[in-house]
Amino acid sequence: MARTEIRVGGLGGQGIILCGSIIGKAAAIYSGRHAALIQAFGPEARGSACSAQVIVADEAIGYPYVRSPDILVLLSQDAFVQFAPQLKPDGLVLYENELVQVQGKLPVTARALGIPATRFAEELGRRLVLNIVMAGFFTGATNLLSIDAVEKAVLDSVPKGTESLNLKALMKGYEYGRGLATPT
Amino acid sequence: MDRDGFPRVAKLKDGSSVEISLARAADGPALLDFYRSLSDEDRLVLTDDVTTPDWLARFLAKLDSGAATSLVARADGRICGEATLHRNLHGWSRHVGEIRLNVARDRRGKGVGYALAAGVVKLAIDMGLEKMVAYFVASQVAARKTFERLGFRKEAELARQVTDIRGIKRDLFIYANDVSHIWAAMEALVEDSRPHEGQ
Repeated sequence: MARTEIRVGGLGGQGIILCGSIIGKAAAIYSGRHAALIQAFGPEARGSACSAQVIVADEAIGYPYVRSPDILVLLSQDAFVQFAPQLKPDGLVLYENELVQVQGKLPVTARALGIPATRFAEELGRRLVLNIVMAGFFTGATNLLSIDAVEKAVLDSVPKGTESLNLKALMKGYEYGRGLATPT
Repeated sequence: MDRDGFPRVAKLKDGSSVEISLARAADGPALLDFYRSLSDEDRLVLTDDVTTPDWLARFLAKLDSGAATSLVARADGRICGEATLHRNLHGWSRHVGEIRLNVARDRRGKGVGYALAAGVVKLAIDMGLEKMVAYFVASQVAARKTFERLGFRKEAELARQVTDIRGIKRDLFIYANDVSHIWAAMEALVEDSRPHEGQ
């Protein structure tokens, strides 16, 4: 039974939960698979630690918590420090490389791919879509979900009027992730 | 078609159609021809002298830098309308875009202006801008109505602010469309707070 454990970690206000929710929706609603989402917040809405646990599986999920993540999506240094030691030996870390420095806490067989997602989001016009860039990066770098499914999940999740910019953000991250996942 | 949805065909009120596309550097000569074809009456209150190669060079440089984004309408192989979104990439008005619109006289009243203006408004929202402004003089009644249909409202009126190309002073109407609520909804969505807390 294929079960992929994903942890999205960062700070409140970065859209961590929305990023996890989009991955889960893309899997469960638009890919015919099973997904579970657990959210964890700090005491403050903004700036405190925040994470989402997402399970994507081919069969029903009996235990919805992440024990040892296959994939980490990290948007803060604190999240890296907290979650990197839990990564599976052959796991994958996807990180915002202007916010996170990868420093010696990863298993030697793990892979780490960085993206300047904040800069990309700002270049697109809104730092706010940083999390959508990361969702696209996740999609391009992992091949766990199709871009069509994630695109539908984004359109289903974001407010009316913001769809176009969010889709641009998604594709920006997706193309960047594909480029890193399949180097020429 | 790219992700901005251009080029696209806009159906007009008289059953004809125009193609709306993003202006590129290669459109420069045709754009200059379009502006040179406008009568003095049509160029009465334009901000720039749009008939000179210097203007075109400055305009293309702004397109290249991202400080301007332009849509052109084409019919029968020629440009018959143009709308530009000007924006400050830095500074205190970086959330605001200014829209300028011109349509050939023989194409007015058919919906070309609305199609161009609606396209530019969408581009502005897609860029994350929170507010758009457009400037008019009193005689530009049809243009003001077009923008009102897109959500613009008169926000200020400055007396004797404009000197037209005949030297006559005119009052300037500043119209604005605040779309910040669209992004406020997105900000709420990425708040990462507990449901029913801190909302």
